[in-house]
Amino acid sequence: MANWPLKRELRQRLATCLIGVVGLSGLGGLSGCWDASKKDGVTGVVATSPVKVTDGKKVVRLNFPVAESGFDPVTAHDLYSSIIIDGIFDTVLTYDYLAQPAKLVPKIATDMPVIEDGGKSWTIKLKKGVYFAPHEVFGTAKRELTSKDVAYSFKRHYDDSLKPVWRFLTDGKIVGLNAWYEAGKKAGKLDWDAPVAGLELVDSHTIKILLTKPDFNFGYVLAHVAMSVVAREVVEKYPNDVLSHPVGSSAYYLKEWVRGQRIILEKNPNWRGGTWDFKPSGKDPYDDVIVKAMQGKPLALIDRVEVYPIEEEQSRWLAFKNKQLDVLNMPSSFIKQALPNGKLSPELVAEGVRVQRLLDTEYTYTYFQWSDPVWGGSELHKVALRRAVAMAIDRDEEIEVIRKGNAVRAEFLVPPGVAGHKADFSSNVKYNPSLANALLDKFGYKKAADGFRNAPDGKPFAFRYTSTPTTTEREFDELYKKNMDAIGIRYEAEKEKFADSIKREKRCQIMIRGAAWIADYPDGDNFMQLLYSKNIGESNNGCYKSAAFDALYEKSSQLPDGPDRDKLYMEMQKQFEADTPWALGVTRYRNQMIHPWVVGYKKHPILLSEWMYFDVNMEKGK
Amino acid sequence: MLAYIARRLWQIIPTMLGVILLIFFLFSVVGGDPAYLLAGKISNPEQIANIRKQLGIDEPYWMQLLIFIKQVVTFDFGSSWSTNEVVSQIFATRLPASLMIGIPLLILETIIAITIALAVAYVRGSFTDRAAMVTCTMAQSVSILVYIIVFQYALAYKWGLFPVQGWGNGFFENLFKFAALPILIALVVSLAPNIRLYRTFLLDEVNQDYVRTARAKGLSENRVMFVHVLRNASIPIITNLMIQLPGLLVGLFLIERFFSVPGIGREVILAVERSDFPVIKAVTVYVALATMLANLAADLLYKAVDPRVELK
Repeated sequence: MANWPLKRELRQRLATCLIGVVGLSGLGGLSGCWDASKKDGVTGVVATSPVKVTDGKKVVRLNFPVAESGFDPVTAHDLYSSIIIDGIFDTVLTYDYLAQPAKLVPKIATDMPVIEDGGKSWTIKLKKGVYFAPHEVFGTAKRELTSKDVAYSFKRHYDDSLKPVWRFLTDGKIVGLNAWYEAGKKAGKLDWDAPVAGLELVDSHTIKILLTKPDFNFGYVLAHVAMSVVAREVVEKYPNDVLSHPVGSSAYYLKEWVRGQRIILEKNPNWRGGTWDFKPSGKDPYDDVIVKAMQGKPLALIDRVEVYPIEEEQSRWLAFKNKQLDVLNMPSSFIKQALPNGKLSPELVAEGVRVQRLLDTEYTYTYFQWSDPVWGGSELHKVALRRAVAMAIDRDEEIEVIRKGNAVRAEFLVPPGVAGHKADFSSNVKYNPSLANALLDKFGYKKAADGFRNAPDGKPFAFRYTSTPTTTEREFDELYKKNMDAIGIRYEAEKEKFADSIKREKRCQIMIRGAAWIADYPDGDNFMQLLYSKNIGESNNGCYKSAAFDALYEKSSQLPDGPDRDKLYMEMQKQFEADTPWALGVTRYRNQMIHPWVVGYKKHPILLSEWMYFDVNMEKGK
Repeated sequence: MLAYIARRLWQIIPTMLGVILLIFFLFSVVGGDPAYLLAGKISNPEQIANIRKQLGIDEPYWMQLLIFIKQVVTFDFGSSWSTNEVVSQIFATRLPASLMIGIPLLILETIIAITIALAVAYVRGSFTDRAAMVTCTMAQSVSILVYIIVFQYALAYKWGLFPVQGWGNGFFENLFKFAALPILIALVVSLAPNIRLYRTFLLDEVNQDYVRTARAKGLSENRVMFVHVLRNASIPIITNLMIQLPGLLVGLFLIERFFSVPGIGREVILAVERSDFPVIKAVTVYVALATMLANLAADLLYKAVDPRVELK
């Protein structure tokens, strides 16, 4: 094993020399051969040693399946940019590395916020000695993070020129913030120095946030990557290009960025430090191994994080097997090969590879347009139609064939790993095509001469499913067509670009479409709001309207997680099943493949970057 | 000659106007609304309207068209809507990687394809010729995706002859280490159709009267083939080469994605996925312009290789 990389390197050199000599001039070929032989793979992507050490630094190599877009917390709307932002910037709160379900803990706060006035007042004391990474705008002095920075970072979400995408997290929630924005809009310029009543700077390290109404979930907003704290001087230096110049106070800073090719982060020289101190969750035996290996060690043991965008699944998989990547989110095409019957293949076991299989905090669903004359509304025959279709969709086949066994059926409106989830709940809407047929017969959906059903008024209708023209969506077309044929409903596949679907969706113009929602924060409210009628045109993409559901949602949104809210969630689930505005889909697994030299690593369901919490073992890698 | 070049360059203007109108219609009129993608997970109509305003797509179409014409004239296409990177910077940083694969590929495929085509044309009708044509037909029938997947797995992963994927910093490191397998694959894929095409060009000439005359004069077969036949077949070969030149600007989409080459092809795919119209528009305009210039260059080359050609 130890010699294999050398042999591989030798063969690569021979091959490149051959190509050089044959393909180009002899001189060029030889010089290329010489040039390649001089390189040690440190700056390139090919690694000859499993554990990479650059100038004595510990390096971890990761990948993104999609290229990043930029690193401004206010404008980043893709997951992968957010991961980098999370590694560079600090948020007031963060998540306990091991706790299950996810638990909020302070990050730059000294303690958890003091919540008063029935959930309307949140007082946060910030740690002293939190410094931004060095930057020319700060001069030679260390720039400390203060409460002013927190308030400024909150206000930035209201700068229209940035095209902010996360304003909804605070929109209408903080006293005076929207009024400050409106005043700025009227004046044609936001007044950054004007105070906002709801962002009260008690002192340089204390901020009191006043909310317009009680919100016990505001802590999740404080932990959200979009609420990362930036320094005003940097923003003013690069007013429209913070995304290329992220300067934060967390453990890492952006050392090098070649767009779409590599993102290199190194440890922030002003990093405040800290000690690894987490307790096992008690729900995962591997937590004990992690705690044993990491307890008491300093935070951020890895000096350098290298991230390579690699779009193609085969390339990612082979790069991981070739030890060019240390951790890999297993590409779905190779799941059966790497995890036959859900267990790690013997080949990978022999190499010491570890797999962490966790359910993502998400689910998929198929919504029916509530304003559609055939499919939407609360008349009994329409409810029966939606229920019948929900019972006719074979999610088990979807899991087996399309998801390759890499998902479980979603039963409850709040997915696993999210506060408010009910693990023992089993939905009443189960796969049962015979019952679905009987239901349709009962409510007057009679079959016509062509073998397909007409609406009770005798008019023909179809299940028109909108999706993008991709291979996976074609598989869904085949499955749904088969499922609809089984209950005599015509199936139509409507293909369009994703952007067009979103536009029509916001206008309630799509009849039926599949969607997925991944938690912005691990609280049931983030999922229940998808069905709140006031969110039509925003996140309620099926445009579902139910006074009963709305009333329950409004009550639940005022409550913290607990038995009282759970009761309301159960009632909301019943109302949801009674109306069946969606057919719930599946919750997908994430399979993290981890090489043996990566120590203490565990993918957190919400936390985006875990780099400061794990280590690489030089001895194991050598 | 200069008058001809000036006239051809002048003709580019109305052609470009047509291209501009077509691109504008495709992207700005029927191309969908990127504001909905850029607005993130939860957005309201006010935010969508703000994004449209920031992007300038809330302006009347005639105004957007004028802005686009100005962009084409000044070669300043602004910034990418999704990454804020200046479009000219995207080209400046991504094009070298694409050219690093494209240029050696074009040189290698031309030399090898012409050599093999000459060889099989020389033994036309023989078993070797027929075997070569059958092989080319079979090779052409296989998708490039299959070549990529098989070569990447076998040559790079299994046998370790090349890196599986990646891109480095140095020119020679990239050319001889990281670009080697992508070039090899693209070469294998492109050789078969080119050999067949060039063989046809050569055989068209082989049966001409001047070839018979050359042979009757007692010239050697090598001289007949390499001097007389090849020179006369070079006009369609030049045409084929010139057609391929603008393709260098868009790179090799699939190869760049599979081998993580930070080239323009990969960037174009990303731009399409993100509805990043400034990048897509710029690529389309550049390719159209390059095509027109390549056509002009081809005409000039015709004259250079065949003095009988008159440029009017």
